[in-house]
Amino acid sequence: MVSFNVTVMVITFLTVCLLPTNTSAVYHECCRRYMKIKIPFVAIKGYSVQTDIELCPINAIIFHTKKGKACTDPSLNWVMDYVNRLRNKAQMVHVKTSKAHE
Amino acid sequence: MDFSDEDMTLNQSDSDFNYTYDYYDINDLIGPCQYSNNHSVEQVVGPYIHTIICILGFVGNSLVIVTYAFYKRTKSMTDIYLLNVAIADLLFVAALPLIVYNELTSWSMGSLACKLLRGSYSVNLYSGMLLLACISADRYIAIVQARRSFRLRSLPYSRVICTIVWACAILLSVPAFIYYNRYEPTHTKEAMMEGNQTSLPPQYVCEFKFTDNSTAWRTKVAIPSTQLVIGFFLPLLIMIFCYTAVIVTLLRARNFQRHKAVRVVLAVVVVFLICHLPYNITLFYDTLNLFEQHSCELSDTVQTTKTVTQTIAYLHCCLNPVLYAFVGVKFRNHFRRIIQDLWCLGKRYIAPRRFSRATTEIYVSTRRSVDGSSENGSSFTM
Repeated sequence: MVSFNVTVMVITFLTVCLLPTNTSAVYHECCRRYMKIKIPFVAIKGYSVQTDIELCPINAIIFHTKKGKACTDPSLNWVMDYVNRLRNKAQMVHVKTSKAHE
Repeated sequence: MDFSDEDMTLNQSDSDFNYTYDYYDINDLIGPCQYSNNHSVEQVVGPYIHTIICILGFVGNSLVIVTYAFYKRTKSMTDIYLLNVAIADLLFVAALPLIVYNELTSWSMGSLACKLLRGSYSVNLYSGMLLLACISADRYIAIVQARRSFRLRSLPYSRVICTIVWACAILLSVPAFIYYNRYEPTHTKEAMMEGNQTSLPPQYVCEFKFTDNSTAWRTKVAIPSTQLVIGFFLPLLIMIFCYTAVIVTLLRARNFQRHKAVRVVLAVVVVFLICHLPYNITLFYDTLNLFEQHSCELSDTVQTTKTVTQTIAYLHCCLNPVLYAFVGVKFRNHFRRIIQDLWCLGKRYIAPRRFSRATTEIYVSTRRSVDGSSENGSSFTM
């Protein structure tokens, strides 16, 4: 029983000690506040969606701009308009590429 | 630019915005919070401090379990509780390195490990806290209600109570089993990007995931609230009530060891408060302001405070064996016999004299209740 305990202890100790050597920390970012100003559409490269049904507490549209990420409020019209325009752009690229392949 | 003119600008083409492009600068961008302070604290706390907690908790609690398993034939009600607290704490420190490992490696052990580890964490938290409340109630009955204690402090009774405590702990942890999932958060997967993007390996988390908004809001508040109420305030109130009555009774009794007993009781309560109060205050503040908009500095500070205070709370499981088991003379005698049996030389090195000064064993024969309480009281060790 004691030798078993010692074995488990040593394994636990080694496992935990070896951890920092071979891992990179996982960063979970969350938007906690929205942009108060509007971003110009041309600066936007893409977007991702943060939903409150996952780990983050608020919903947000994250626009990826040339200068970094921007948290925006999905209840604002301009935000959803940008999202639609990005989607349309992607759809158009899709249609063009499909035609080119035909 | 303001929200007020958004309708006007809705149908304008991209070129109309070009002139504003120069005016927006990097300082205006409000991006997702990086929690950089919290991450640097976690880099130290996660692997190193938790290793120390794991080792101390593992040694202390397994010694308690081994002592009870092999050398204590006549178990009292208190012994049953202490054994269960040690089991809960041991399971907790066994799960802790696995949780730390998985959090650092994008939950490499899979989704079942995610559910099991988060669930067992919750079960052990509730059972540990409720059992400490049971111990305080047991001591209250033994000392304050000494006349009734013969009937109330029987072995089958304590087994039933422990079963109820574990059943409650499991029931209260059902939401954790259900809603913790291993997944890739949608906002870290890039939904739509122009040009070629660097594809990172998927980053999994083991966090809450719900199917709809209303469940999400309710559960994100309900789980920490339950933890605050049943996992902290309820045991705290029971402990304060029971131990206050115990101290009052002890101070009235003509027992020469009463001051030592009072000191032990105070140590139990003070350590409980020091370990759990900071974390629970932080948890309360965090839950209260969860859906509010925050600056990243503030939410990083809250997150860092939570990481630090949670580690202090974890320390409690290393202190329980000392505060509850090793402080009792009878337990130490049993433990000493183990040492003697294992290493014949051990007797010479671990001299009984070294510990006996700090001992406290309360005989509940507080003169007033003579009938039946002597055999009952002798089993009550603190």
